[in-house]
Amino acid sequence: MKLPTTLSTVLGNLFKKPATNPFPKTEPVPVPEKFRGKLVYDVDRCVGCKLCVTVCPAGVIEYVPEVRKVTFWLGRCVFCQQCVDVCPVNALSMSDEFLLATTDKYDDNLRWFHGEEIERLKEKLAEKKKTKA
Amino acid sequence: MNLLYATLEFIGVYVYVSLASLLWAGIDRKLVARMQRRIGPPLLQPFYDFLKLAGKESIIPRDANRFFELAPLLALATSIALLAYTPLGFEPIFGTKGDVVVFIYLLTLVGFVRMAGAVSSGSPYAQVGAQREMTILASREPPMMLALFAILWRLKGLGVEKPFSMGTFYEHSVWELGTPLSVIGALLLLVAFLFWLSSEIEVGYFDIPEAETELAEGPMAEYSGRHLAMFELAGAIKTFVSASLVVAIFFPWGISGQLGLTGLPATVVELLFHTLKVFAVLFVSMSLFRATTGRLRITQAVNMLWARLLPASVVGTLLLIIDTLGVVA
Repeated sequence: MKLPTTLSTVLGNLFKKPATNPFPKTEPVPVPEKFRGKLVYDVDRCVGCKLCVTVCPAGVIEYVPEVRKVTFWLGRCVFCQQCVDVCPVNALSMSDEFLLATTDKYDDNLRWFHGEEIERLKEKLAEKKKTKA
Repeated sequence: MNLLYATLEFIGVYVYVSLASLLWAGIDRKLVARMQRRIGPPLLQPFYDFLKLAGKESIIPRDANRFFELAPLLALATSIALLAYTPLGFEPIFGTKGDVVVFIYLLTLVGFVRMAGAVSSGSPYAQVGAQREMTILASREPPMMLALFAILWRLKGLGVEKPFSMGTFYEHSVWELGTPLSVIGALLLLVAFLFWLSSEIEVGYFDIPEAETELAEGPMAEYSGRHLAMFELAGAIKTFVSASLVVAIFFPWGISGQLGLTGLPATVVELLFHTLKVFAVLFVSMSLFRATTGRLRITQAVNMLWARLLPASVVGTLLLIIDTLGVVA
């Protein structure tokens, strides 16, 4: 029977401060450089080249042919950043946001350019066509 | 009338020990957390756990028999009955001549009921857990019994009112003998008792029946809701009682004498002081042990109890006997 070697460590730890970050009371641990957080989509820059649709491994992105843009559902995103790397016009970027928990998987928080936004853009395009004509 | 007072006292002790033992569980979790550089749960976490469990749905497995629901009740009832014979800084409420046998019997019965309830659940995990519980139960009691009887026999030699009762520790203590041999023997027995306490409450080396990581809670695998809450409370009370035994044997000194108190205030002060001593003993035997040691396999644990702990008890007992018979003057 020898004393466990951890005994001194454990007793020393009793008099040290806990090495934890009590998150909700404090800020979360700061994110590093080039952190791959929630995807950000800039609709106006997008030219609808479909490269991101091709490269996405998780099927997050869907092409909307009527307006030549893409729509995102980030519930599937695996944060691999390939769409950002491949986008020729830099319409996509990774943010620092990582607190993405929701109760509804179709939350607005997890979607880019959907529903009414598409409809509005369609109307805009229709008006443009009218003025041209 | 006397019986009525005793009953009221008994209920009071039960309520107090329930609160104190659950509080200790909270302190223990906090201490172990701090030993691992964590903050740990709030101090009253075991109370929240207990209330939550008591309020949750209790699921009875299809293959469980009638005893499955009865076991937690019996375990709790047994541990409550145990309090009547536990030295808590004053003589046990129903302490009589020879009640040490009742004490040991009830202490063992709690483990036995746990095992019987586990076997009744029909789950193979619980079966394996129950087997281990039984194995370790049979292995850990002999050293404790030997040491306890030896000490009580020695105290009887000093002339006590009720021989072989738990109250005799408060008349004479094992350190009073004062001879070198008896002190060495008593120290050996103290070490044996601290290890026995760890195996009795199943922490550290002896966390074998419950073995969360390999057996999925063992005997408690199928218990949920208020049945589990009753088992948790029974376990907490048993922890307190087991530690109380060690405290009563080796550190029976009170403080009411120094403070010049008598009657009820003295009893209350003794109870609080005893609680402090129990917490100190449990700190060594539970928190430190739990934080510094891993689980043994059941074979290793049995080997340790029979080949290490029992010889320690035997040697300590022999030293006490030799000291008494005056073979080595």
